[in-house]
Amino acid sequence: MADEVVAYARDKNVSKIVVGKPAGPRWREVLFGSVVNELVRKSGDIDVHVITGERETPPPAGSGARPRAADWSGHAGAAGVVASCTGAAWLMFPYFALSNLIMVYLLGVVLVATRFGRGPSILASILSVAAFDFFFVPPYLTFRVADTQYVVTFAVMLVVALVISTLAARVRRQAESARERERRTAALYAMSREFASTRGVGDLLGVAVRHIGEVFASQVGVFLPDAGGHLGLGVGSLGRPDDDTSEHGVGQWVYEHGQMAGLGTATLPGAHALYLPLAASRGPLGVLGVRPGIRRAFAAPDQLHLLEAFAGQTALAVERATLAEQAEQAQLRVESERLRSTLLSSVSHDLRTPLATITGAASSLLDGADQLDAPARRELLQAIHEEADRLNRLVNNLLDMTRLESGALQVRKEWHPLEEIVGAALARLGGRLGDRPLTTRLAADLPLVPLDGVLMEQVLINLLDNALKYTPPGSSIDIVAGVDDGQMRLEVADRGPGLPPGDESRVFDKFYRGRLAGTGRGVGLGLTICRGIVEAHGGHIRAENRPDGGLAFHIVLPLADKPPEVRIDDG
Amino acid sequence: MAEARLPEPTGPMVVLIEDEPQIRRFLRPTLISQGYRIVEAVSGEDGVTQAATRQPEIVILDLGLPDMDGLEVIRRLREWTAVPIIVLSARGQERDKIAALDAGADDYVAKPFAVGELLARMRVALRHAAQSAREPTDSTFAVGDIRVDLGRRRVFVSDAEVHLTRTEYKLLTTLIRHVGKVLTHRQLLQEVWGPPYADQTHYLRVYMGQLRHKLEVEPARPRFLLTEPGVGYRLVTE
Repeated sequence: MADEVVAYARDKNVSKIVVGKPAGPRWREVLFGSVVNELVRKSGDIDVHVITGERETPPPAGSGARPRAADWSGHAGAAGVVASCTGAAWLMFPYFALSNLIMVYLLGVVLVATRFGRGPSILASILSVAAFDFFFVPPYLTFRVADTQYVVTFAVMLVVALVISTLAARVRRQAESARERERRTAALYAMSREFASTRGVGDLLGVAVRHIGEVFASQVGVFLPDAGGHLGLGVGSLGRPDDDTSEHGVGQWVYEHGQMAGLGTATLPGAHALYLPLAASRGPLGVLGVRPGIRRAFAAPDQLHLLEAFAGQTALAVERATLAEQAEQAQLRVESERLRSTLLSSVSHDLRTPLATITGAASSLLDGADQLDAPARRELLQAIHEEADRLNRLVNNLLDMTRLESGALQVRKEWHPLEEIVGAALARLGGRLGDRPLTTRLAADLPLVPLDGVLMEQVLINLLDNALKYTPPGSSIDIVAGVDDGQMRLEVADRGPGLPPGDESRVFDKFYRGRLAGTGRGVGLGLTICRGIVEAHGGHIRAENRPDGGLAFHIVLPLADKPPEVRIDDG
Repeated sequence: MAEARLPEPTGPMVVLIEDEPQIRRFLRPTLISQGYRIVEAVSGEDGVTQAATRQPEIVILDLGLPDMDGLEVIRRLREWTAVPIIVLSARGQERDKIAALDAGADDYVAKPFAVGELLARMRVALRHAAQSAREPTDSTFAVGDIRVDLGRRRVFVSDAEVHLTRTEYKLLTTLIRHVGKVLTHRQLLQEVWGPPYADQTHYLRVYMGQLRHKLEVEPARPRFLLTEPGVGYRLVTE
C-alpha cells in the first residue's frame, strides 16, 4: 500500500503526504507492519506529515435502530436454521453416519450466510458445532466428549463452517452492491432522461430537486448566487434551516471553495445539511443542499459518491441549459440590434426628407418673400403643410409600433357597429382620399363587434393609406364587410398592381416596402401595426392578390357568442 | 408671469394657458389677427389667476402643464365660472379628453391641429355661451338636406318627412342643442337615456347608427353626424 501511495505521489509531483496516526491496536502493527512507517521509509524527498486522526465515534444508540433490528432477526434466523438442521439430523441419525450429519449443518451454515450475512453465519457455525456435540456425539445430550478424536472433528467442522460462511457472505455482499449500483445507475439515468426533455434552468433544478429528494429520502434545496455572488435559495427547500444564517454560511463556504461541507463531512460537520458544489467547467454554478431524514445517511462512501454523481449531472445539465439560453439571448440581441439599425436608417431617412422640404420651403419664403409671386408662395406653403402632415403620420406610426412592441398597447373593447368605425376612418382621411372612387358595402345585419374603436380605426386608416400610396390616382378602393361562419370579415381592396408572388405574408413584416418605394413614402410600419392590432383583438389579417387585379386585405375578427341586448323603442 | 398684449379692444378676450413657447408663438399672432384680445399664462396657477382677474370670454387650456394637471385647472375654473374652455391635447389621449370634457371643458383640439380647426371650435363655444345667456329662439334647425321642426317635433330629409322613434328624436335634439360641439358618450347617455345608462355605450352607438341611416345619404360616410373616435359624437353644420 505504501508503495502505491509513493508511486502515485511521484507520478503527480506531490511534495507533501499527510497521513493519519494509526488508530488500530498495537499488536496489528507488530504483526502486519505499519503503513505509516513504511511510507516514511520509502518517501525519499517527499515530506510526510502524520496527524492525529479523529476516531469515529460509534453511532448513538437511537440512530442505527434499523440495521440493529435486522441483525437480531438475522441471528434469530441463524438459530432457527441450526435448530432445523438439528431436527433433520435427528431424523437421519439412525440411518446415516455422523459425517453426513455434519454436511446437513454445513448446508445450514451456507443458507444462513447467503440469507443473513457474516455475523449470523458465524453464530450458526458455532451453534452447529455445539448442537452436533450436544445431540449426536456420545455421551448424548451433554457437551462432554467421550472420544478426544471428536475435538479434531469439531475444529475442522468449525473452520469449514467459518470459511464457507465468509465466502458466502462475500458473494452476498457483492450481489447486494451490484444490485445497489444498478439501482443508482437507474436513478441517475432517470434524472438524466428527464433533464433531456426539460428546458430552462429553473425547471431543470426542479427536476433535480425532486429526483435527489426521492433517491436519498432527503429534503433538497438548490442555492443560486445573485449578481454579487451571495447565495439564496433558488429551488426546493431544506425545511427549517433555510433561514438559519450559520447554515447559509456553510453553503456560502461551499460555493466559494468548490468543496463539499456540512453534515457527514470533515468540514463544518455540525450543519443540518450536506452541501455540495454544483461545479461546472466555468466555475461553481451554485450549491446543492441535502438534508437527509437520517443523520448518518451519507456516512457510507458509496452513498456520498452517488450523491456527488447526481450533483455532477445536475451541474452539467444546468450549465448546458444556461449556455443554450445565453446563445438564444445573444441571437435575440443580434436580431434586435439589426432591427434597430434598420429602423434608425429607415427613420432617419424618412424623417429627413420632409424636414428638408419644410426647412427649404420655409427659408425660401423668408429670404425671397419679395421675389416670389402669390402662386409660388402658395405652392411653398402647401409643401410645408403636406410634409408636416407626413411627419406627423410617421411619428404616430413609430409611436404605435413602439407601444405594440413594448406591450404597452391596451385594447379597450366596447361594442361597436363596424359602420361607425369605417365612417370615422374615412372622415379622418378626409381630403387625402381626394376624388378616389370608394365604395363601402357593409351587410345590412352586421352585429355589434367587441373591439377597441380607436385602434381598429387606425387599422382601417393604415390600410386605406397603403392603398392610396401604392395604387394609381383615380383607381377605386372597396370596403366590404359581412359575417361568415360566426366571424366578422372585413375586406379593404384596391385596384393597384398587387403584390409580387410570395410577398403576401412578408408585406406585414417590419420595414417591408412595396415596389413603389424609393419615393420614400413610408417607413414600412403601417401594415405591421395593423397586424399587431388585429392580433391583439384575437383576429388575423392576410393579404391576397385579387383574381381580377389589385390587392385585398382580409381581416377576420372573432364575434362574441352573445352581443348585448339593445331595447329598441318604436314610438 | 403673464404677458399681456394690447390688441384691438373690440374682440373677445382669450386666456391662453400653455407652457410651450412655440405653440404660444404661432397662436398669438393668429388669434390677434382674428380680432381676439389675448392674455398668456404659462402655468396652471397663473392661468387660474388670469382667468379670475381678466374675466375672459374664452379659455384655451393645454392639458399637459408642468405645475398642475389640466383637469385640476378645469375643476377650479368651473367652481365659479361657466366661461367656455377649449382643451389642447395630444393624440392618443382619449381618456384625458373624455375626463376633461366630463369635468366641464367645452371642446378639444388634438395637437397637431390646423388653426382653422381651433378657430371653428372657439366660434362654436362663444356662440353657445352667448345662446345660453339668451334663451334659444330658433324653432327650426336645418343642415344640408335635413330640416328639423323643433316646435312640432317633425323631421324632414329633402322635404320628405322621416319618422324617428322617441329616443332617436331625443338624441337628435340633444345634438342640435350642442351643435358644433363634441359630446362625450357619457354626456349623451345621461341626457337621452338617463344616468343609469351612462356606461351603456352600445345603446348610443346602435341609435346613432339608426339615426344616420335615416338622415345621412351615405351612413358609412356621414357628413353631419360625426364620430369622435373614443370620445363621443359631434353634429356639424358643414
